Amino acid sequence: MANFFPKWTNWIPLKLVICLGALATAIVGGITYYFTPKYTRVGYEPNQPVPFSHVIHVQQLGMDCRYCHSFVEVASHSNVPTTQTCMSCHTQIKADSPKLAAVRESWKTGQPVNWVRIHQVPDYTYFNHAVHVNRGVSCYSCHGAVNEMKVVYQHEPQSMSWCLDCHRAPENHLRPPEEIYNMAWKPPQGETQREIGLKFKEEWEVNPPVTCGGCHR
Amino acid sequence: MKKDLHHPPPEKNPRIWRSLRELEGDPEFHKHLQREFPRGAELFQDSGLSKRDFIKLMGASIALAGVGLSGCRRPESYLVPFTKGVEYTIPGKFLYYATAMPARYGAVPLIATTSDGRPTKLEGNPLHPFTNGGTDSFAQAETLNLYDPHRSKQITEKGKPADPAAFDAFVQSIAASDGQGLAILAEPKSSPTRDRLRASLQAKYPGLLWAEYDPLAAVPAATAAAASFGPGIRLIPDFKKADIVLAIDSDFLNPIETGIGYAQGFAARRNPEQKGAPMNRLYAVENHYTVTGGMADHRLRCKASEIGEFTRQLATAIAGITKDSNLAAVADAYPKSESSIDPVWVNECAADLAANPGRSIVVTGPLTPAPVQALANAINSALGNIGATLAPVKADTPAAASISDLAAAIGKGEVKTLFILGANPAYNAPADLGFAKLLEKVPDTVHLGFFEDETAKLSRWHVPAAHFLEAWGDVRTCDGTYTSVQPMILPLWNGASELEILNKLAGAPAPQGPSLIRETFDQIAPKPTDEAWNAFLRDGFLPGSAYATAKVSFNTAATAELAKTASAAKPGALELVFLQSSSVDDGRYANNSWLLETPDFVTKLTWDNAVLLSPATAKKLGVKANNFDILGDIAEKLGNDVNYDLVADIVEISDGKNTIEAAALVAPGHADDSLSIALGYGRKNVSALMDGVGFDAYPLRTTAAMRVLPGVSLKVTGRDYPMAQTQEHRSMEGRDLVREGTIERFEKEPDFAQKMGMDSHIPPNISLYTHPELTSKEQWGMTVDLNTCTGCNACVVACQAENNVPVVGKEQVRKNRDMAWIRLDRYFAGDANDPEMLSQAIMCQHCENAPCETVCPVNATVHSEDGLNLMAYNRCIGTRYCANNCPWKVRRFNYFDYNQRPLDELYWGPLAKKGMADSLKMSKNPNVTVRMRGVMEKCTFCIQRIEEAKISRLVEAGPTPASETPIAPFKVACQQACPNDSLVFGDVADLKSQVSRLRKDPRAYTMFKYLNVAPRVSYLTRIRNPNPKMPGADQVGMANGSGHHGDSHAAPHDAQPPAGPAHAAPAAH
Repeated sequence: MANFFPKWTNWIPLKLVICLGALATAIVGGITYYFTPKYTRVGYEPNQPVPFSHVIHVQQLGMDCRYCHSFVEVASHSNVPTTQTCMSCHTQIKADSPKLAAVRESWKTGQPVNWVRIHQVPDYTYFNHAVHVNRGVSCYSCHGAVNEMKVVYQHEPQSMSWCLDCHRAPENHLRPPEEIYNMAWKPPQGETQREIGLKFKEEWEVNPPVTCGGCHR
Repeated sequence: MKKDLHHPPPEKNPRIWRSLRELEGDPEFHKHLQREFPRGAELFQDSGLSKRDFIKLMGASIALAGVGLSGCRRPESYLVPFTKGVEYTIPGKFLYYATAMPARYGAVPLIATTSDGRPTKLEGNPLHPFTNGGTDSFAQAETLNLYDPHRSKQITEKGKPADPAAFDAFVQSIAASDGQGLAILAEPKSSPTRDRLRASLQAKYPGLLWAEYDPLAAVPAATAAAASFGPGIRLIPDFKKADIVLAIDSDFLNPIETGIGYAQGFAARRNPEQKGAPMNRLYAVENHYTVTGGMADHRLRCKASEIGEFTRQLATAIAGITKDSNLAAVADAYPKSESSIDPVWVNECAADLAANPGRSIVVTGPLTPAPVQALANAINSALGNIGATLAPVKADTPAAASISDLAAAIGKGEVKTLFILGANPAYNAPADLGFAKLLEKVPDTVHLGFFEDETAKLSRWHVPAAHFLEAWGDVRTCDGTYTSVQPMILPLWNGASELEILNKLAGAPAPQGPSLIRETFDQIAPKPTDEAWNAFLRDGFLPGSAYATAKVSFNTAATAELAKTASAAKPGALELVFLQSSSVDDGRYANNSWLLETPDFVTKLTWDNAVLLSPATAKKLGVKANNFDILGDIAEKLGNDVNYDLVADIVEISDGKNTIEAAALVAPGHADDSLSIALGYGRKNVSALMDGVGFDAYPLRTTAAMRVLPGVSLKVTGRDYPMAQTQEHRSMEGRDLVREGTIERFEKEPDFAQKMGMDSHIPPNISLYTHPELTSKEQWGMTVDLNTCTGCNACVVACQAENNVPVVGKEQVRKNRDMAWIRLDRYFAGDANDPEMLSQAIMCQHCENAPCETVCPVNATVHSEDGLNLMAYNRCIGTRYCANNCPWKVRRFNYFDYNQRPLDELYWGPLAKKGMADSLKMSKNPNVTVRMRGVMEKCTFCIQRIEEAKISRLVEAGPTPASETPIAPFKVACQQACPNDSLVFGDVADLKSQVSRLRKDPRAYTMFKYLNVAPRVSYLTRIRNPNPKMPGADQVGMANGSGHHGDSHAAPHDAQPPAGPAHAAPAAH
């Protein structure tokens, strides 16, 4: 019986497997990198209606986060300041600055300023700011060094696995309660974050939920 | 026969059943029960298009949609702060305010939960002295009423949108005139501010005719009380003091009839273990099954037209024992008639009542004819109950003309301008008045209402009414406690309140905020300071403002005179009884889809009303008892064995002049030769939702027959009508799920319920699966007291409001797709014509060894450390394995996007309109995910409340050890709504908690103990307290039979069960 297939065809299955494997790896790798929050969300830096700079307000003027985000310690939402909050200073300072036109407009008309939302968890996820800041987690852990941001952008992926990283090992983020709003805090000389964190974790009985019900209701 | 290896066969227990089909042992029915989802549940359309076909069809469109990849970028969203901070408001935090829902019997005092300015949930006000914090199903559904997108939104003149200024000018022209020919038709309400405005209007216009009408108002009760004790006297029952209660034609345990506060006292005396207060005994005499009848120890089926004769015989018997001449005089005045009432029943009941003077109550219904109520007053008076268990108070509500008076005045042409405030007489006025025709005779009519309804269409002006959560008001509860009605939100669609209209009519300037109420408060409060006013608003009521007890004496002559006016019943003739609907009341909730889909307490009928009749009467009249043949044929044609649900005969009922059509439903326990129908259905041209739902019974209701219409005829038309009944869904095949016994049995063996059926012979069962460890300090659990749970539906609607549970529509309910997270299973026991009734609340049991968790392929349902069976919606892929494996059938699947798509376009796929009305979005609880199509859902034990409590504890603890700060007490939604505190939720690991104590109660049992799933919900057995001398006493409390331990048996309880069939039928050995 004649050979219907030439000899080189013997290698086809192996080549096929290798090529398909490479393709699959590329697809999986591509999706993992380009379609996950790490790529799609981190760095999101939309234009805001008012060019508010945290560098000026926090870094230079030394304002506390809670001056504007006043309910962060009591509510699940960390509120964006009302126009009234802005105007309590800006009727005196830079009262005519063209950059603040939108704020003045809002104050005059009563229509709110529509700030573009940067950090957003899905609707089926219930994040609570109050419990985090009251139990030793700094703003810095989730929002990065906002004090250094001229324009706010997303610093962390805020994906579920990222949340769980901390919920499983909160010691990597716990700080002394008086340093929660200090964006520049570093563990003191001779101590590591982990040591400090473990101490607080034990002392305060920090036991973050890792079951679905902790965040999904 | 794999099933039988795992489950012991049902008890040989002939008494308990859930539907007639089950009782008759219909093989089709058992086939139906075998399936968690009857096969039809998988069909996408009745045409037989299967899921497989659908996926094939959809494949192409999905591929097309994928090409565009339009959804790659996250849409821009905004953070919108207030411009100016609002006092007390913290974004994302709830605020709570006291308010109240006015009702015909007084009010339901409430605490409104507002979320960023939107009221989203109403709960009972626990501080209120009369109600102590329960609610009813109607109060729970009021948030949906508020946000109902079908509400009328603008002032209309002759059906066309009008300028509000034109209406103002019209009202001012009346205010400027002498008010000649002015009449007002309002609903009876005990609002002191309204009374005050009314008085000022009457001073301004001496000729003003003020009439009041509500189709279900307790006018006969007021008439009888006035005759017996003097005008304005009201009897407030205190069931806590009553050992014996006789309910005549009364559903007093149902909060929608009597308000909150009645059943509580009864429930307080229903505990068989309570020291110092013996368990009470309840007798009920009624024509149709009510929840009160279900709770009764002895129930007498009695035609509504023979209720008078029953009461007369009872009065005569009591007079014979007590030798009370006044009672004898009243009883003798009442005309005698023939009846088939069992004399033993009457005499033994009379003896029991007479043996407990001053410790009994005879209670009648609000619509029971006045002569019968006169008899009841005489009995209560003879038994010394007045002043003991029944507190007479003098209400300050001024008298009003009736709708008949108004009709007469219109007929004479005396009414030139008629203001109709809230009522809908064109639809629900007695038919003999012909009110719709009369309205045409009035030149200027103004209708204030929620909908452009029948009356609005016949009126010159229609003004949208403000909801009670949109306007200031006040009200007195039944006992007279002055209660505030605070608005929670500005009128959504510029509605006006009744008080604002009256104030305008009086020519006064528009009120500023609560100024009208404050003025009344200043008159009522002993010290009308600002502090007192603020406390009034904060607590919701004025302490000590209840009516003082009045000194009354029984007026024998007037009572006898009233008793004499009764018309004698004709035995054998068919009668029609008009009922308050459990879903739409008198028709006012006809547009509330939550209530329409909530099953009736007894019939378990949704989205319809029906003529109820007893099995014997149905047979006599040729009405097919639960006709399933037609659908069976259709199902056969479709090539499957689907047997959806009930198809009923349409019957014609006629009184000789008028005829109505309605579907007939055979109702076990109904009196023979009697028909009952709920009012408020069968609307036409009002709104898309309520039109064509059910059957209108008002055309047969006349001023002379407000409760019962004797002498009707019934004709079967031969046409059929599909009905959506939840009764047979998810049946649990009678395995001693609901348990009851008598007090005698309880005293002999307190823990008898724990040993019922197989429960005492269960070998230790070992789970094959590993289950997560319950490491948390708190472990949540619940108990349900079957002894006090009446089955009133308050919890069902509360759960719907709290958990954003969607409504699915009649067609979907017919396919077993109702979504309620908590359901009330209703069981009958005994003879089909005269059974006993029990109801049992079933929600997710949060099994420690949950069978649903082990079968989920994607871990979407898992266990938490604190013992909750969790549902992660975003993980669920919709296999429905969990629901198949759930022994309680409490899991609910979203077959469609019920929240986003209109219910009549569910099958249109992507062509259906998408999105929710904006106002409905406002009604959702922001702390609970709104589920989408394709995911499973079920009771979460209100995890949002649990997490809120846990988070609040941690926030409070701050940088201190968490365990040193306790969790603040909280209640879950169903528990809060329960008017009788039958549901108790809490931490079962805390040995001091109420729920732990109740779980250790000898009455406590868990269902399906032999499955070793370790449910976290325990039930407390129902205990009945029969009078051994009564006829049929040996059948009371025997729903489960005499039980496993009625006979002696050889094997001790700790022994392994003998193998084989010998043990399969435990009742036999």
